[in-house]
Amino acid sequence: MPLFKIENLTYYYPDAPRPALQNINLVIEEGEFLLVVGGSGSGKSSLARLLAGLIPDFYGGRIGGRVLFKGQDIRHVDRRSLAGEVGIVFQDPEKQLVMTGVEGEIAFGLENLSLPQAEMFRRVAEILGFFGLARHKTEFTASLSGGQKQKLALASVLAMQPRVLILDEPTSQLDPAAAEEFFNLVRQLNEEMNYTIVLVEQRLERCFHLADRVVIMEQGQIVNVSPPGDSAAWQVANNFSYIPPVAAFFACLKAPVVPLTVKEGRRLLNKYKLFPEQEGKQKVIPAGTAGKAPGGRGAPAVEVKGLWFSYPNGRETLRDINLHIAPGEFVALMGENAAGKTTLLKHLAGLLKPWRGKVLVAGLDPLKVKPRQLARVVGYLSQNPGDYLFQDTVEEELGFTLSNLGLPGNGRVEGMLEKMKLTCCQGFNPRDLSSGERQRVALASVMVQGPQLLLLDEPTRGVDYGLKAGLGSLLRKVAAEGTAVLMVTHDVEFAAEYADRIVMLFDGRIACDGPKHEVLCSSMFYAPQLSRLFRDVRSGVLTLREALEFMGIRKIYPGDCDDSLV
Amino acid sequence: MCSCLKKGVLNLLLDSFYYKEKGLFLQSLHPGAAVTLILVFLLQVLVFSHPLYLAGSFVVILLTIWAADGLKALKNYLKFALWVVLLVLAINPLVNQSGNTVLWQSPHLPLAGRLSVTLEAVLYGAAMGLRLLNIVVIFCLYNLIVHPDRILNMISRFAHKPALVISLSTRLLPVLAASLNNIREAQQLRGVDFSDGSLKKRVGRYTAMLNVLMISSLEDSLQIAEAMQARAFGSGPRSIYRRDLFRPRDGLCLAGSIFSLGAAVYCIINDLGSYTFFPQLGSLFSNAASLPALGAVLSGLTLPALLSWGWNRCRYLKLKI
Repeated sequence: MPLFKIENLTYYYPDAPRPALQNINLVIEEGEFLLVVGGSGSGKSSLARLLAGLIPDFYGGRIGGRVLFKGQDIRHVDRRSLAGEVGIVFQDPEKQLVMTGVEGEIAFGLENLSLPQAEMFRRVAEILGFFGLARHKTEFTASLSGGQKQKLALASVLAMQPRVLILDEPTSQLDPAAAEEFFNLVRQLNEEMNYTIVLVEQRLERCFHLADRVVIMEQGQIVNVSPPGDSAAWQVANNFSYIPPVAAFFACLKAPVVPLTVKEGRRLLNKYKLFPEQEGKQKVIPAGTAGKAPGGRGAPAVEVKGLWFSYPNGRETLRDINLHIAPGEFVALMGENAAGKTTLLKHLAGLLKPWRGKVLVAGLDPLKVKPRQLARVVGYLSQNPGDYLFQDTVEEELGFTLSNLGLPGNGRVEGMLEKMKLTCCQGFNPRDLSSGERQRVALASVMVQGPQLLLLDEPTRGVDYGLKAGLGSLLRKVAAEGTAVLMVTHDVEFAAEYADRIVMLFDGRIACDGPKHEVLCSSMFYAPQLSRLFRDVRSGVLTLREALEFMGIRKIYPGDCDDSLV
Repeated sequence: MCSCLKKGVLNLLLDSFYYKEKGLFLQSLHPGAAVTLILVFLLQVLVFSHPLYLAGSFVVILLTIWAADGLKALKNYLKFALWVVLLVLAINPLVNQSGNTVLWQSPHLPLAGRLSVTLEAVLYGAAMGLRLLNIVVIFCLYNLIVHPDRILNMISRFAHKPALVISLSTRLLPVLAASLNNIREAQQLRGVDFSDGSLKKRVGRYTAMLNVLMISSLEDSLQIAEAMQARAFGSGPRSIYRRDLFRPRDGLCLAGSIFSLGAAVYCIINDLGSYTFFPQLGSLFSNAASLPALGAVLSGLTLPALLSWGWNRCRYLKLKI
């Protein structure tokens, strides 16, 4: 008997004119690892909530068809026993932690299951040990790092010992190393403890190969369910782009078997002698794609000299930072969680005062000018676009920035809406829009004045492949028009595709700074998948386009180069 | 233009006004023993008006705060409290016209007439200021030694819903502070100057900021409720996770607090803890039993600080309690 069986299911959220899930038929076997992919608003999260019994129990709405859990209609399964069998971890750990302390948080679910004291104590002790959280057990959840919070959210659910674990974009806030660690844990649960895993994810390069089957969703429907290799081949043939670069590369080469990991890919390339020429360790940076040398055009957009900063707790967050960004440069700022990336951005935005050193933005000292003056030259988009949205319409949201800065309209709002492909929703309330649209409205609201420096803090968090491609193209255009772009990101593939230059920050210091090919190709954990595939064979390969060009294939895989913002 | 920012506010909140685990003797006490100690301290500073009792309590609380490694945190509490105490000291003699020993008389004032500042009113104000200071340092001690989750865990046996609401609110406080700073920054970088313009304009800007916070908080609360439901909250009766051990140290501290409580009740019954301020100051030692009774009250409360000192220095004591 399958663990889950979804039959002809259609679901509408309350008052929604269109179904969030439409005619879904899916069978999930016990111990299976299912990866669910799709664009924003495709129904991935709704499917996850359906399997967790939250739809329609928590959300309400209209539902047709049925979901069987171990042969029984899920709506007739007692809520407590369902919660004990199916656990769900959401995207943002901040919004799923309930208690103030770590130990209390893990015990919360167990208390709800009304377990006896001895059983709760055993489970809490076991989970704290397994996740390495024992030394944090008396700490406040608020004082944990993002990675620790996500680990705690997973630990709290696992303490309930469910048979099914549903993960809704659990690594979107983690740096590459922490995301890797998280997925290793999930793999261990699946392989060694026979957990059934349903994973909704956007960053596929670290989890695609772990799945037994990949479910592709579009507009509330399941359009394909197949093993990862077959899914990659199907997606290439049908213009979908939810594939990690190595799989996409081999699918483009029409390989008989699509390898999913760098190791499998290297084996295949060596077996069939697919490398056109062996260049040893020769460093080749493709012409025209290498990073621009700093100091290209005009006065620097950013000039940081000997910057030091500590928060009141005394920890030195930034140590002797020296940075120079020219107008028109697109720089990605990378590094582990809590390395000081956001702190550096805030110095450039005039939100923090250096303890020592000098910061100049477009020739201005951010601390010596009025907010209005600084806002004319600096656009800053923080991690949460929701912080920017409070006007009644999208148009008013953009107008708000202009009126604050005392700038005339002169078609600026209309132009920006057009550029961001937001004209269709200019009269809508920004908070009623999809997450991708919200992000674009927030970005438009800090760009409408035409800043000389654009600061972005993790703009691709929770954004699907298609939207990322659109955002990347837009940022390249903005940079080409002369605006310097400095973007904090954990998304290695995105940085490899669109940025010119990479600055790596570790423990408050700049560990390396240079053109993207130079920095990423020589990195171990921050190297994109294709760079790792071509390591020691051909340096300077970061993206699918470069890999295919190296193989002598001119035709570019279309899904990867989708410039649309929709 | 530099603001204190998310990290600054968050750190101030977490470092100064929130419990911080340091593995101290006083932090290892059973929440029942720790809360009893705090309540007895609070009861006596509220009930006794005798300046010596209030001063004695203040010294013992400071001693306990020192034992809880909290002198640095205390500074932040005192920064706020001392202003209020100074205010009480300044205002009380002006509004309290009782007392025979006039120190100063104002010229005739319209409506108020002639104001007199009396020695009795000044000292009464000082005693009240000391009482206020005692309350603030007790609150500081509470935050230093009692983990909020542990106390809520204890309360939840009797009232689990209110305890959960308090826990959620406590957890959300730093989150809200951080959100507010993020919103402020976002607006500032869109040209909003919170320090510029008339009061009305500034209030309008802050209102808009709170509006964003309100909308975002409502959206977040829905997600927290969903996460709680996914973890079976509200699916029936709950059990309570108990993690606290009752050790000999808890028995000793509890005994000390109960002894002090008994001594305090004796003082109240025999009118030993009160002091006459008006119309004329009474003698500090009007009753021979005053000082021994005060010693008895404070000795029990000093016990946790002494045990903490011994626990840090005597291995034998550490092993035994």
